[in-house]
Order: sequence, then C-alpha cells, then structure tokens
Amino acid sequence: MMAAVAGVGAAIGALGRYGTTRLIQRWLGNHWPVATIAINWLGSFLLGGLTGWQFDRPLTVLLGTGILGGFTTFSTFSHEVVMLADQRRFGTALGYLVLSVGGGLLLAASGLWCGLHFR
Amino acid sequence: MANIFAIVLCAFIGGGGRYLLGAVLPVTAGFPWATVLVNLLGSGLLAWLSHAETVTVKWPSAVTVGVGIGGLGAFTTFSTFSLDLERLLIQQAWGIAGLYVGITLIGGLLLSWLGVWSARRWWAFPVVEEL
Repeated sequence: MMAAVAGVGAAIGALGRYGTTRLIQRWLGNHWPVATIAINWLGSFLLGGLTGWQFDRPLTVLLGTGILGGFTTFSTFSHEVVMLADQRRFGTALGYLVLSVGGGLLLAASGLWCGLHFR
Repeated sequence: MANIFAIVLCAFIGGGGRYLLGAVLPVTAGFPWATVLVNLLGSGLLAWLSHAETVTVKWPSAVTVGVGIGGLGAFTTFSTFSLDLERLLIQQAWGIAGLYVGITLIGGLLLSWLGVWSARRWWAFPVVEEL
C-alpha cells in the first residue's frame, strides 16, 4: 500500500522534473547541466525541511520518498558527469560533481534547520 | 502526451520499487544500503539505455523517454543521498559518511561509464567510414 503512495508521489515528482528540465534547457541551453543541479539542490533542501518538520508517516512517504525522491535524480547526474568527461571537459565534470554533492549537502542541512525552527 | 503518460507510469513503478527495496533492505550498522543500490543500479542502466541505439531504435520514443526519465530517474534519488549524508555527519559517523560518499560516487560513475562503454561497444550502429 505504502509502495503505491510512494509510486504516485514519484510520478508527480518525475513529471515536475521533466517539465522543469525542458523549461530550463529551452531557456539556458544544455551546455552545462543547470537543470539537473537546480532540481537536485531544490529537492535536497525541501527533503531537509520535510525531515525537520516531522510529518506523520503516510505524508512523509508521499512527499519525501515519493515526490522529492522522484523529482531528484542520481542516474542523470552520474550520466552527465561521465559524458562531460567523455567530451574531455574534465574541469566542468569535476566542478559539476563537487557543486552537486557539496551544494546538496549544504542545502539539506539548511532545509533541516528551517524545518526544525519554523515548525 | 505519450511521453507524459509513459513517464507517469514508469515513475510509479520506479518510485514504488525504490520504496520496496528500502523496506526490504535494512540499514545495517547505520549504512543506507538501499539508497546505494538503487543509485548504482539506476546509473548503470540509464547510461546504457541512453547509448544502446540498436535496442531503443525498435521502441516507440515514448518508451525510451518513459523508462529513462520516468522509471530510472525516479528509481534513483539525489535528495535522499544528500539527507542520508547530512544525518551521518550530524551523528559524527565520519567513517560511514566517507564510505557512503565514496561508494555512491565512485560506484555510480563507474557503472555509468560501464553502461556507456558497453552500449557503444555492442549496441551501437556501426560507424560508416567515409571514403
């Protein structure tokens, strides 16, 4: 039952990611993977907030595991790093990796803090 | 419209599958195995799918978009990775945090590279040499 709740959330999240990616790529192009990093940063911040806020379980599964889990993506991130390296853009690949992980961590921490303090 | 339908359907399966794996795989000694597993597996498969031309050419494009962006995109997750890492750092579990980052990043990139390499090697159209 909870798996279906997570699934519904993930479908909403994935649609949001598809729409956001298309919008950002039309706007800024895809020379640098801006869309994925923006999505992963935003999702990390919101999941931090959600965790700090401490909702009850069905809502956490829907919003956290489902929507934010489906909105953010690791597979596209790692594929983009590999393709940047494949194009011999090693500096960009490393910068993208460090900014994604470091920024995601900082934003998760900020979100957690906001969730704990504004609940 | 077909793309949207395929993404919704595949993301439902991908997200539900990620939840089920998380429910089945316990967090042993504070190490989030389930997140590592979905992210490594999903990275390899998405990279392969993105380059396996001889396979995807037979599918309607909505299927490729649905499975890749919807299914594998929702199966893997970046937000849980960030938050798991943040939790481990708050608990000052430096060793586990280091292992978690190392295994996820090195494993994810390695499998992604392997997916690209194998698809180009065995599932790509032959390059026509110019005369």
